Amino acid sequence: MSLPSQKRALWAAIVGVPLLFAAITALQTRIDARTRTEAQQKEELLLRSPAAVQKLSLGYDALVADIYWTRAVQYYGTRVGTEGATFDSLWPMLDICTTLDPKLVVAYRFGAIFLSEPGEGGAGRPDLAIELVKRGIAANPTEWHLNADLGFLYYWRMRDYHASSVAYLEGSKNPKAPPWLKMMAARVEEKGGSLETSRMIWSEIYDGTRDPTIRDRAAKMLRGLKAEEDELHLDELSAEYQKRFGRYPASTGELRSAGLLPGIPVDPEGYPYVIGPDGKSKLNPQSPVEIPKQPKGPPPPTK
Amino acid sequence: MSATTGPVAINTFREAVRDRVLYNLIFFALVMIGAAIIVGQISIGIERLVIINLGLSAISIVGLVMAIFIGVGLVSKEMEKRTLYSLLAKPIRRWEFLVGKYAGLLLTLGVNTSFMTLGLAAALFYVGPPYVRSDATVLVAVYFILLELALVTALALFFSCFSSPMLSTLFTLGIYITGVFAQDIRNFGELTGNPALRAATKALYYLIPNFHNFNAIATAAHGGSIPFQLVAQNTLYAALYVALLLVAASAVFSGRNLK
Repeated sequence: MSLPSQKRALWAAIVGVPLLFAAITALQTRIDARTRTEAQQKEELLLRSPAAVQKLSLGYDALVADIYWTRAVQYYGTRVGTEGATFDSLWPMLDICTTLDPKLVVAYRFGAIFLSEPGEGGAGRPDLAIELVKRGIAANPTEWHLNADLGFLYYWRMRDYHASSVAYLEGSKNPKAPPWLKMMAARVEEKGGSLETSRMIWSEIYDGTRDPTIRDRAAKMLRGLKAEEDELHLDELSAEYQKRFGRYPASTGELRSAGLLPGIPVDPEGYPYVIGPDGKSKLNPQSPVEIPKQPKGPPPPTK
Repeated sequence: MSATTGPVAINTFREAVRDRVLYNLIFFALVMIGAAIIVGQISIGIERLVIINLGLSAISIVGLVMAIFIGVGLVSKEMEKRTLYSLLAKPIRRWEFLVGKYAGLLLTLGVNTSFMTLGLAAALFYVGPPYVRSDATVLVAVYFILLELALVTALALFFSCFSSPMLSTLFTLGIYITGVFAQDIRNFGELTGNPALRAATKALYYLIPNFHNFNAIATAAHGGSIPFQLVAQNTLYAALYVALLLVAASAVFSGRNLK
């Protein structure tokens, strides 16, 4: 090739390649726009059989498990908090990733949270969460955290205090387990459903992890439980006020004026409580604190 | 190794380096850096796991591709370029040539794997915490990958002695995949309940190289321990199989009419 024609070819490449790439990108965008709706309607998982995925992974099971776990996190993350969102593919993804790598403890622990959270917070399937954690315990008998998670799920989601106590007790048999597991087993059996027990469980969850997500969640729960405890106390004082003055107080200020309170009580976020016409205290409507639904009564129905 | 296989091995290594096969290290480095940065953002609690799983899988896959595609061309390339004839005219026996070629590719794979292991170690250092004692299992897993590559290279070399590069690739790949599923093949025979089929699948199980033996990636990622006995057994298994394949390859190659 002569020099001028070489130069021409070079210039053609310099100009042509970016132009062609731009054209391809534009075309792909159009194709995406046409096919996205269709693609979104499709199920997220092409293969639902853990055994099939395991065979296809050709020995790279651990890496494929990590990919499925990341997919599960992304799947959950894009749906959580979205009204009407369903989590149909969550269990199959967790099933696949824990079958491919039974030692992936993080998938059992977080997967159980994703599966058990009710409403828009998760799949609302504590039964599957329990199955997942039980599988994790079978594959990782030295991981006492999983026993604690199982105890929590039975306590908080299923309201089965005996099963919860058994789970904590089983975990306490692990030589590496902290002493509070044994205490919790006795406590749950004796005083399941009490505010104190709930606070104890969430405090241990908070203290027992360095994971910021779990710590934030536990801290939020503990703030809610503290607010609930404050409300119960205020309700008692409100009843006392009613006995003295024949009416309920209109505000916590009146309780203070009556000498029943040393000051104006505020919730863990610093917002003063309000008292309704029925004498019951409530969180300030502007307060971000949420009172967790205490496990009482029969277990919740699964979706 | 005889005095004549050494120069063949060194030249095979030089040729591979001249062919720029070590460029794959750049790809590997990019994958590791990308994974170290991205995984922390899109997943939960598996940064270190992914680095180890991805790093070891990449070492294995890159090594397999090199072992197969370079391995099948070890003999045929020399024949195509007619360099084999001038080489065999010298005082070198055919088996020495084969063993030299094999050792040269193994050296290439060893150097490549060593660099990739250094990359993996750097990525692990980046995601922290500092190295722990259980990370030594990663090195054992790398060693197992090297044993696996030694076996695959021997397979590729064996097939290349009597077949075209294309067919040799298919044969080697086929045996590798069958070897990954060795356990399933035996289980399949057990499930059928047919004594003849059971015996056949059992025989096949022992005949084909069991590549599942060398998979320690998950154990390494979770910081598990690998008993020394298993390391010794796997080393012996690979050595015996490689010896078997090299003896068979030498026999085939020695009997081949090269005119």
